[in-house]
Amino acid sequence: MFAIITTNLLRSRARTIFTAGGIAVGVATIVALLSFTQGLRDTADEFIHLGGSELGIFQANVSDPTASILPAASVQQIAAQPDVAAATPLLLMVETVRADPSAVVFGAEPSGFFTHNLVLVAGHRPRPGAREVLIGDRLAEQLHLTPGGALVVQGRALRVAGVYHAGVLFEDSGAVLALAQAQQLTGRAGEETDVVVQLAPGARASAAGAAIERALPGTQAISDPQQALRAGADGTLISNAILVIVVIALIVGAISVANTMAMSIMERQGELALLSTVGWSPVRVASLIFGEGIALSTLGAALGLLFGVIGGGLLVSALGVSAYVSPSVTAWGLGRALLVGVAIGVLGGIYPAWRVTRMTPLKALSGT
Amino acid sequence: MSQPAGAAVAVEGVDKSFGRIAALRRVSLWVEPGEAVALTGRSGSGKSTLLSLLGGLEQPDAGRVRIDGRAIWREPHPARARRELVGFIFQRHLLLGTLSARANVEVALIGAGVRHAERRRRALRLLEEVGLADRAEHLPSELSGGERQRVAVARAVANEPRLLLADEPTGALDSRTSERVLDLLFRLREELGMTMVVVSYDRAVGARADRTVTLIDGQVQSPSETALSAPPV
Repeated sequence: MFAIITTNLLRSRARTIFTAGGIAVGVATIVALLSFTQGLRDTADEFIHLGGSELGIFQANVSDPTASILPAASVQQIAAQPDVAAATPLLLMVETVRADPSAVVFGAEPSGFFTHNLVLVAGHRPRPGAREVLIGDRLAEQLHLTPGGALVVQGRALRVAGVYHAGVLFEDSGAVLALAQAQQLTGRAGEETDVVVQLAPGARASAAGAAIERALPGTQAISDPQQALRAGADGTLISNAILVIVVIALIVGAISVANTMAMSIMERQGELALLSTVGWSPVRVASLIFGEGIALSTLGAALGLLFGVIGGGLLVSALGVSAYVSPSVTAWGLGRALLVGVAIGVLGGIYPAWRVTRMTPLKALSGT
Repeated sequence: MSQPAGAAVAVEGVDKSFGRIAALRRVSLWVEPGEAVALTGRSGSGKSTLLSLLGGLEQPDAGRVRIDGRAIWREPHPARARRELVGFIFQRHLLLGTLSARANVEVALIGAGVRHAERRRRALRLLEEVGLADRAEHLPSELSGGERQRVAVARAVANEPRLLLADEPTGALDSRTSERVLDLLFRLREELGMTMVVVSYDRAVGARADRTVTLIDGQVQSPSETALSAPPV
């Protein structure tokens, strides 16, 4: 049976390739988006653990966590909470590095744990009051910068004091400068994006977060990546978009397979009738058609997985977010896309298989 | 090869129409087990229709068609009954063009649920039987017309049918090749003891058959018509 399925698919190579190609595009889109959202989730995880923090405090109900604005005074109130061991404010500057717009610049207190936890691999820490910046090792490598060089941030050239490694993708792809300097460059005096928190020993993130939200109405404490993704409208939008694309891929793919298989059985009426005359039951003939549909969609899905893995990287580059999102392909993501591909074959094969069971051998043999 | 007994064929008062065209009218025909009958008549006389009714590919509008007492069309699983009782050979060999000669013979055995290794063994043996052992892995497009028809014969007898139905098996072949195919058919019929009904214009078929039945305008008109109108004793 497998040999017959294979040879039947190879018989009309162009049709097989085009149908499988269509399915591949759908599956590839799903894989790319799933790897992108997994990358976003990973980024979100890193985002809320910036500088080794366990909790991030943001403005509630913002379109994106990076758009959050908190008053400068909030850090003292947060630090005063019993479950909090340390709290330090951050001002995130996006699209401010001319040479690499995807690089994120962090305005951070020089004495805070965020700056303190950076491991210097070259140069020195910025001197107080000097117009200096620390840059991540990935950004340094990308821009070929070394200590003593200049990085243009928000149109101002800052001297590179040192190069650090944090082990977090978008920290290492970005830069760090003093909070006051960041506020001055952006004209956001007295503002910060978020406050990152280290908890006291034994404190639970959820309980500490709830206490902070009560103490500072209008804030949102984020301690897990899912929460971070949900907090941003973009993350929710992408999740919903994937669901819509999965449904569209299923419908379009199933119609495509059904159309291909229907054309195939119309062309092969005599052949299928012959199988009936040599004793194949209608169920067996239908299972041949069904098998061809599933084989076709599985081939498309396999190609789609390959294209999707490549496409995930291209999507990140096309969106210009490669500095803080690294597409992450998981077995579960690939498995889901493969399931969609097989489901396309199952759905698309139902109608042609049913039609085959309704064919009368003689009519098919005589071509009437 | 085992020796399955031929099937008894009973056609009683069969009518069959396609729209307004009456293909068969009150046709009755009995064929004894192991008998070879040549079915002749002009084009459109109803030969192929009668053959398809015998093979259970069509249902009669009236009357009864029974093979060894079984009405294939009315069986709960007509395909299984067809597989157990009937082998078909067509004028156009109707081989699957993408499969080798061996695989084409195996197709008949797939329907019977024969396992892969056994299928292969039996298909090769059948191809050897029809003189195509060395052509087993060739595609139909690589075979001559006579060779293709011999593959079709091997496929038709793969499930050791008790009734072999051949619809103009030599119609598309030259006389020399026709003779070889007929030799093969009648030899296999002898060996397997099958009942055989062959639709043909070829006089050579009539000469080899036990008797000839002629259809004219959907009715049996053979010289021995009277004898055929009653069940065999």
